[in-house]
Amino acid sequence: MKKLSLVLFILSLGLDVNGQIAPVKRDTTRRLGEVKVDATIKRKIESDMKMAVSVDEFLASSDNISFIKRGAYAWEPLLNNMSTERSTITIDGMHIFGACTDKMDPITSYVESNNLSSVDIKSGQEGSMHGATVAGSIDLKRRSTPFGLQQKVGGAYQTGFEFNNKQAFNLGNLFYSTDNFVADGSIAFRKAGNYYDGNNKEVLHSQYNKLNASLGLAYKTSPLSAIRVDAIFDRAKDVGFPALPMDLWLSRAIITSASYKQLFEQGLVKVWDTKVYFNAVEHYMDDTTRPENLVHMDMPGWSTTYGLVSKINLKKDRYSSEVQFNAYDNLSIAEMRMYPQDRSKQTMFAYSWPWVTTRFASMAMNNSWEISGRSKVNLGGSLGWNYNYSKYVEFNWIFHPGAPQKKNRWLPSLHASYELNLNQFDISLGTGFGHRAPSVSEAYGYYIYNSFDRYDYIGNPDLKNEISYEGNASVGFKTEKLSIAAKVNYFYINNYIIGRILSLGSPMNYQSVGVKGYTSLSKATLFNTAINVDYKILDNLHWKGVLTYARGKDDEGGNLPFIRPLSYQTSLHYGYKKLGLRTSLNGDFAQTNYSPIYGEDLTGAYKIWNLSADYSFNLGKLKSVFQVGAENLLNEYYSTYADWGNIPRMGRNIFTSLKVNF
Amino acid sequence: MKVSILVKTIVFYAALACVFFGSCTKGKTNYEAERGDVIEENTEFKEVSNAVTANYTVSIEALNGVLYRGYNDIRVRIKNTQTNTPVEVSDLTFLPIRTTVIGEKSSCPNRYNFDYKSADKYFSGYTVFTSESDAVGSWALYINFTVGNQSFSLIKEVSVRQQPNKNLNMTTFTGLDDEQYVIALIAPQKPNVAENKLVAGIYKLNRALDPSAEGPADQLQFSYSQVERYTLKLDPRMPEPSMGNHSSPNNRDLLQDTDGLYHGVVNYTMTGNWTLNFILLNPVGKVIRGTEVPKDFTPGVEGRKSELHLDILF
Repeated sequence: MKKLSLVLFILSLGLDVNGQIAPVKRDTTRRLGEVKVDATIKRKIESDMKMAVSVDEFLASSDNISFIKRGAYAWEPLLNNMSTERSTITIDGMHIFGACTDKMDPITSYVESNNLSSVDIKSGQEGSMHGATVAGSIDLKRRSTPFGLQQKVGGAYQTGFEFNNKQAFNLGNLFYSTDNFVADGSIAFRKAGNYYDGNNKEVLHSQYNKLNASLGLAYKTSPLSAIRVDAIFDRAKDVGFPALPMDLWLSRAIITSASYKQLFEQGLVKVWDTKVYFNAVEHYMDDTTRPENLVHMDMPGWSTTYGLVSKINLKKDRYSSEVQFNAYDNLSIAEMRMYPQDRSKQTMFAYSWPWVTTRFASMAMNNSWEISGRSKVNLGGSLGWNYNYSKYVEFNWIFHPGAPQKKNRWLPSLHASYELNLNQFDISLGTGFGHRAPSVSEAYGYYIYNSFDRYDYIGNPDLKNEISYEGNASVGFKTEKLSIAAKVNYFYINNYIIGRILSLGSPMNYQSVGVKGYTSLSKATLFNTAINVDYKILDNLHWKGVLTYARGKDDEGGNLPFIRPLSYQTSLHYGYKKLGLRTSLNGDFAQTNYSPIYGEDLTGAYKIWNLSADYSFNLGKLKSVFQVGAENLLNEYYSTYADWGNIPRMGRNIFTSLKVNF
Repeated sequence: MKVSILVKTIVFYAALACVFFGSCTKGKTNYEAERGDVIEENTEFKEVSNAVTANYTVSIEALNGVLYRGYNDIRVRIKNTQTNTPVEVSDLTFLPIRTTVIGEKSSCPNRYNFDYKSADKYFSGYTVFTSESDAVGSWALYINFTVGNQSFSLIKEVSVRQQPNKNLNMTTFTGLDDEQYVIALIAPQKPNVAENKLVAGIYKLNRALDPSAEGPADQLQFSYSQVERYTLKLDPRMPEPSMGNHSSPNNRDLLQDTDGLYHGVVNYTMTGNWTLNFILLNPVGKVIRGTEVPKDFTPGVEGRKSELHLDILF
C-alpha cells in the first residue's frame, strides 16, 4: 500500500503554478491505470493534523481555499475568496450541480475522503480546462487501483470517534486487482450529534448522518487500453443547519461514469481518455424540526446532468499539451411550497428554479514548452458555449418583463505563464483572461432566501458575462532545510455579479427583510496572497507556517463580502520511531474590512490550538495507525468571518481514530 | 472470502442504483395540473337555455353553458325551428331582469343592443349578474329581435349560479359620491405565476329612473352604464398572515381602453390566495372608494385590505 501511494500521490505543499504534464514513462504504460498524466497539484486526502478528515476539513488545509459554513456539514468551498459560481468543481472532470438553491450541497458534500485519491486545485484561468471559470478549478480525483498489483486483494478500514459532537465514523475500502481486471469499492458512514461551542453550549440543529459508497470496475481491453465504469452513491439524512431556518431531511446523489482510455507508445499523442457520465441529485429541505417557524414550507430540488469529457495528451520533445473537450446538459429544478396555518386551505407554490436547462460545450487546450532546463512557457485557452433555457420563464418575467427564454453565450479564455528556475529560486509569472456565464441562481433564481443577509434573491436572465483579467506571480526559495514560497494573484473583474437591494417587490420568505436582485457591478477587484514556510529544524522535527491575506473591493471601493482577513497557520511535527506528535496554531485576525451592505458585521480575531499524536504498529500482519488528538484545545468560543448567522464554531474536540491497512 | 464480499457489494450497489433510477423520493410538482386543480378554465360556449317563439328557436349560450354571478360573455343564435338554419336577424336586444318575491324588478350591467357577428352568425353581448338566483328573486331574460319587418319578443327565465372561480369575482358598493358601482373581473380566468393582463368592467347605477315610463324593460335597460375615464388603482397582496403582506412588482393600474373595459397588469409571484386592493378614482382624480393599504412586510400579521378589494385564488 505504501509503495502504491508513493506512486499515486504526488504530494505538493503549495499551489504549483504550472500546467505541467509529467512524462509518460514506458514502465508505467505497461501498468495501465497508474498513469497520472495530469500531475499538477495533487494533495493526499489527509491534513497535517488529522489522518481521518472529511473532504471539507481536507480542503480547509489548502491555503487558497476558505469556507462558508452554515453548520457542521457541507461547507461551501471558496477558491481565491470567490464563491462556487466562480469556480468549476468537478469529480474526475465530471460536472455536477447541487440541487439546493441555498448552496447547502456543494459537490464536495457528495464524496467522501476514502473514495478520493487527491484534489487538484488550479487557480484562475489555468482552471479553465474543465469549463469556464473565474476563480479556478477544484477537481476531486477518485481513487483508482492499478492493474496487476502484486497484492491481489487489499484495502483499509478506518474507524474513529470525535467526542465533541459524538461523531462516529467507519470508512472502509477494498480493491481487487489482476492483470486485466480491477475493482475498487468503498463505503463510509458518519453520524454526528449536535456539537458544543467554546462556552460548552450545545449548538442545536448541527447534527448529520452520511452514507457514501462507491464502486469502480476496470477492464483492460488491450495492453494499452482499458474501460472503466464508476459509480458513487451518497446519502445524507437529518442534517442540521443551525444558521438556517430549516434542515436537510434527505439528499441523495448518484454519480456514474463510463470511460475508455487508450495509451500510445509512439507518436505525438500519448493518451486519449473519454468519458460519458450521468449524475442525479435530489435534495429535500425540511422545517418540521423547527416548530418555531411561522410557515411550514417544502423546498425540494433536483439536478440532473449528462455529460461527456474527452481529452488527449500530446508530447514531443520539449513540447507537451493537453486538449480537452467538455459537454454537458443540466436540468435544475427547485420548488417552494408554503402551507397556510389552516392546512385545509390552498397551498402557495412557486419555482425557485423554474426548470432551467444549461447546456455547455467547450474546447480547451494547454500547451507548455520547456525552453531550457531552467525555464518553461505555458500557454492555454478555451472557447466555451453556454446555453440556458427557462421552461417557466413567466416567473422570471415578473421582475424582468420580456427577458428571453433562451440565451446563448460565448465564453473565451486565455492564459499564459512563464516559469524560471535560478539555482535555489523558482519564479513564475502569469496572466489570464476569461469569461463566465451567470449561474442558474444568478440568472433564473426566484425568491431564493439567503439567511446570511436575510434577503430574497432574484435572478436576472439578461446579466452580462463576468469578465476576469488576472495576474499572478510566485517566488520560491529552497535549501535543504528551508523552503519559502510567496504567491500573489490579482483579479480585475468586469460585470461582477452580486445581489443588490431592489426597490421593487416584497419578500416572500417570512424571515427575510427585503428583495435583492442579482446585478452586475461595473468592476470589482480581488487580491490574494500567501506565504508558505517550511523548515526542517532537525531530521525529525519540522516547522511549517502559512500566512494568507486577501482584499476585495467593489466598483465604489467598498468591501466585497466573504473575503478572508489576515490569517495564519503554524505547525510543528515531531517524529520519533513509530510515534508522531503534531501541534498547530491557526487563526484569523479581526475582519476589519467587512461589508455591511452584504450582511457582514465585524468578526473578531480568534486562534485555535490543536494537538495530536499518532502511533504506528502492527496488528499481526496488518499495518495500523492509532491517532488521538484535540482540536481547539483551549476551548475558544469563536465564529469566523464566513459563518452564517455568526453561529459559533465547535469548541474543544477530542478525536481518536484507528486505521488498519490490509 | 474477500472477493465474495466484493461481489456482494457490487450486487448491493447495483440494486441501490436501480432503486434510485427508478424514482425520486419525492415527486416533482406537475405545475400545469397544480393550477388546474383549483381552476377549471372555461373556453367553450355552450347552450344555457333556448326558447321557441313563432317559427324561431332562440338559443342563449355562455361559457360552460352556465350563467354565473359576475361577468358573463353571452351569445345568442336564432335558427329556423323547422330547417334548423340560421335566420337573417337585423336587430337583437337583451335585458336581464330580476324579480323578487315581492315583485320588485331590477336589472344589472348589461349590453342592451347585441352586436351581430356575421362570420359565425350569432349575436354577442355581455351581462354582469349582480346576484345569484335564489329564494328571494329570480332572473329572466327579455329578448327582442327583428326578422325582416317583424318584431318578436320572448321572456326566458334562467338560473344564475355562484361563480366558483374567484378570479372572476365581482363587488358592488356605494362610492363617496353616493353612487352605486359594480366592479367585475373579466380576465384572467386562469392566472399564472407571471405577469397577467387584468381586465375589469366598472359600472354605475343610473339614478332618476322615471317611474312613469312605459314598460319596465324600457327604463331598466338604462339602469347601469359603463363609467368613463376612471382609474382603478391596484395593489395586489397575499393576505395570509405567514406571507406578511407580500406583494409583487411591476403591477399597473387599470385604465379604460377603447373597448370600454379597464385594463391593467397584475403579477402573481406564487399560487395561493391573493387580494386585489383597489382605489377607484373618478376622471378628476377624486377617490370614489378604497383605501391605501400598508406596504410594510409584516410576517405573522394578516394583511389589511382596502375598503375596496376583491379576493382571488389560484
